[in-house]
Amino acid sequence: MEFFKKTLDPVIALSAIAILDIFLFLVVGAWTVGGGETMMTGLAAQALMGDALERIPFWNLVFVPDWGYWKIYISLGMLFGAVVGAVLSKEFYLRFPRRLSEWVLITIGGLLMGIGIRLAFVCNVSTFFGLTPEMNLGGYLSISGIIAGAWVGSMIYKRILEG
Amino acid sequence: MSVVAECLAAFVFGSCVGLLVQRSRFCNTAALRDAILFKTYRNTKALLVAMMILTIGFTLFITFGAGNPMHFDVGLNQVAGLFLFGIGMVLAGACTVSTWVKTGEGNVGALWALIFTFVGMFLFSLVWSANYWPPAAASMTGQPNLEALQLGYANVGTLQEKTGIPAIFFGIGQSLVLLAIYRAILRRERRQQVEHDATAARHRAGTLAADS
Repeated sequence: MEFFKKTLDPVIALSAIAILDIFLFLVVGAWTVGGGETMMTGLAAQALMGDALERIPFWNLVFVPDWGYWKIYISLGMLFGAVVGAVLSKEFYLRFPRRLSEWVLITIGGLLMGIGIRLAFVCNVSTFFGLTPEMNLGGYLSISGIIAGAWVGSMIYKRILEG
Repeated sequence: MSVVAECLAAFVFGSCVGLLVQRSRFCNTAALRDAILFKTYRNTKALLVAMMILTIGFTLFITFGAGNPMHFDVGLNQVAGLFLFGIGMVLAGACTVSTWVKTGEGNVGALWALIFTFVGMFLFSLVWSANYWPPAAASMTGQPNLEALQLGYANVGTLQEKTGIPAIFFGIGQSLVLLAIYRAILRRERRQQVEHDATAARHRAGTLAADS
């Protein structure tokens, strides 16, 4: 099938995603990832810590662990769709970061993303595919933050590339 | 809508997104990083087109009171949080979408980034539990709360209520701004192409002269 042989134009892909996102907005709400990831964090913590998690107010007042939270299933769906796409296009294979410095950067980057999402209550997806198209004030605040952050991150990355 | 139907709709949507992102190699991190560092705009253009479609779609439905807009107070925590997120996504080489999609392709580094995103979220939950900032949804009023560095709630729907102008007109305005940015990128790409062709022609001429 041609779809799995050639790389799809990202403009076409994102246009299709935007139309689907409008349907999702009408049914439950716009596309977001950070909320679902937070709920998964809570569920994982509950599985590991049991009742001890109840002593952390965040998990009682902001995100009470709940498997029925619809945003979780967007992320699981993305994983499923990506596996299907990668397997059918014969692009699935295990890849590991080669150098220790890559592992360190990925670890720091992951931590900053997690802390940033919870501090902001939004992620990059809600910023570009939810809040800003809804012309929510939070979208403009988030875009200012992410562009400034991406610029600083790019300068750090450039320094590292230049050795 | 039942909880099961909501979860099912979310899963079907997510699956389509995962497939389309995997096949197109779209990356939100690259949309910003490549534009800043390498002056290439493949992903930036796709992001802008999606935002134009979404702005028109969302504001059209909000005009008629349809849809489910995000509803919570916003403030300086959005700027600070996304600033940290922006640094993190460039260092990790992936954002919230590409961590899932690359993990689905067998990329262990992306899975590692995803695990540490969860760890970061858990660490922040401990910090939040010590100072209760930013305010939880239950304590949000929709009004500015400057002590908590919160500016309240405002979107195109509130603009429509205050001004009486249908939300779609604001949406068209925002889409035109996005279109202007898109066209500026196309112009820049054309200039880059002309410069690239001229350089290639000079190299060819130099090689021919050396051969003769």
